[in-house]
Amino acid sequence: MSKLEKTGNSRGLGFYLSIYKKILIQDLKTKMSYRADFVISTFGMILTNLSGFVTFLILFRNFPTINGWDYHHMLFLYGFSLIALTPVQCFFDNNWNLRFMVRSGDFIKYCFRPINVFFYFMSEVFDVKGLGQLAFGLGTLIYAWYHIGLKVTAGSIGLLVLYIFTASLFMIAIMNFAAATAFWMEGSGNVMVIMFRFKDFAKYPASIFNSVFRFLFTFIIPIAFIAYYPSLALLSPDEEPLMTGIAPIFGVLVFYLSYRFWMRGVKRYDFTGS
Amino acid sequence: MSEAAILMKDLCKDFKVLNRHEGLKGSIRDLFSRDYKTISAVKDVSLTIGKGEIIGYLGPNGAGKSTTIKMMTGVLEPTSGEILVNGNIPYKDRTRNSERIGVVFGQRSQLWWSLPLIESFNLLRDIYMIKQKDYEDMLELYRSLVDLEPIIKKPVRQMSLGQRTLSDILAAFLHNPDIVFLDEPTIGLDVSMKAKIRDLISGLNKTKNTTVILTTHDMGDVDALCKRIVIIDKGQKIYDNDIEHLKSYFGSYRTLKLRLADDTWEEHLIDESKEDIMQIIMEKQKSLGVKDIQLQEISTEEVIKKIYEGGVG
Repeated sequence: MSKLEKTGNSRGLGFYLSIYKKILIQDLKTKMSYRADFVISTFGMILTNLSGFVTFLILFRNFPTINGWDYHHMLFLYGFSLIALTPVQCFFDNNWNLRFMVRSGDFIKYCFRPINVFFYFMSEVFDVKGLGQLAFGLGTLIYAWYHIGLKVTAGSIGLLVLYIFTASLFMIAIMNFAAATAFWMEGSGNVMVIMFRFKDFAKYPASIFNSVFRFLFTFIIPIAFIAYYPSLALLSPDEEPLMTGIAPIFGVLVFYLSYRFWMRGVKRYDFTGS
Repeated sequence: MSEAAILMKDLCKDFKVLNRHEGLKGSIRDLFSRDYKTISAVKDVSLTIGKGEIIGYLGPNGAGKSTTIKMMTGVLEPTSGEILVNGNIPYKDRTRNSERIGVVFGQRSQLWWSLPLIESFNLLRDIYMIKQKDYEDMLELYRSLVDLEPIIKKPVRQMSLGQRTLSDILAAFLHNPDIVFLDEPTIGLDVSMKAKIRDLISGLNKTKNTTVILTTHDMGDVDALCKRIVIIDKGQKIYDNDIEHLKSYFGSYRTLKLRLADDTWEEHLIDESKEDIMQIIMEKQKSLGVKDIQLQEISTEEVIKKIYEGGVG
């Protein structure tokens, strides 16, 4: 009866982090061994970012300020958004495969292990391309930080880390919601692509949009929380809007809701694909 | 407590199937649509499976085999009826149930595609929290049953189908589960690999007293492994008895295929206890001319069809 003595309720955060780390190390090892693939995809990501950046520069050649935001402030926003969009790219990229697995029935394999299905599913893919984006975003942010003349203190760095972390939760949540529609409908790929496009608006100050879009980007598809609101915590701490203050709590809440939605999809999905 | 590994009583599962619409617009409409029809996939199935048994769980495609297994593994919640797996209600606590079962589902590898097999095993050790000693003992046992060397360092994606199936089965037994579910474990494999897989399953069952639920269309699997078979058709249990009983009943059936003078094939299901095969061949030879002859054992599908028509139980 020794089998019965196993205690199974000790799978906490530490357990999951250690499992993730092990999968990640193995995965990176494999990716490194396919060197050409690794180099090309990193190079591709750098090119993508460069072209985005060039567009940004051209825009600013023609409009030196946008609604009171000058070049360096816009650059700050740009860099911030790139960093905040890195986690969704690196850790949650498997969402893009969800609809195929749901349709084919392959998704069922995630339900046979004694670990969280959402975790197990996401842990399977780590997208290295996100790292190029992270490097690019960091470079841009540091450059802008320096030119705006922001102070480097423990407080400001702490604030930056907190806000980047919570800002990243918004895009993850949006993509979770979009991907999980696959459990209910066939055309979820379109939903994902549309939602993913919205992130392009994240690097602009929400104040340039009219009230309808501002409302949309704040409460419906909350991309204004990816860079605009959190950046204000650092750029104008004296007159930050309410949304900036509640962004961290709101971020955690939205992420949690997206997780519940995703898991609800798993529950109702009947796995008829097999 | 009881010796039963699995206990099912009047188990039912209905699916509500949405009448889907086309396109993005249709998909969005489906989100809110209430246009359902109900399909009954499993109807009043009662079954008790003892510890250490190997059960052949058979039935044609769409009979409800997968649905039953999904309920036993805790993936699906039954519509009504009772189900106990190792004394637990699987869907109430899927995680706890998963700790003590192993699953090889269809031809879908559950191993990490790009990792060498041993790394997958190491991850499973951590996920199932297998004690290092038990883990090493199990690998030792594996080495005594199969030749691990050619596959242990190989990434799953580079394996042949046979190696992959072997790996998946080993992975399913790794945490020494009480019950292992095997769905079509030998499909698409060559004869020698089939034999290897069967030996492995039987070896693990004997040493670890693991209950094995085997779904298959291959009567060879059933012959080699199962003492008892359960047949399900259209969601209902239509046969539950030992295999000897089935054999004595249907052993005398053969399918005779004849290629006639005009190159068409003709099929006859023959009960040898009543008819003489040679007699039939000779008659056909005289009347139509026979160019070629094939004689086949009755297939599972035909047995099931016979049972369904004849109503034996």
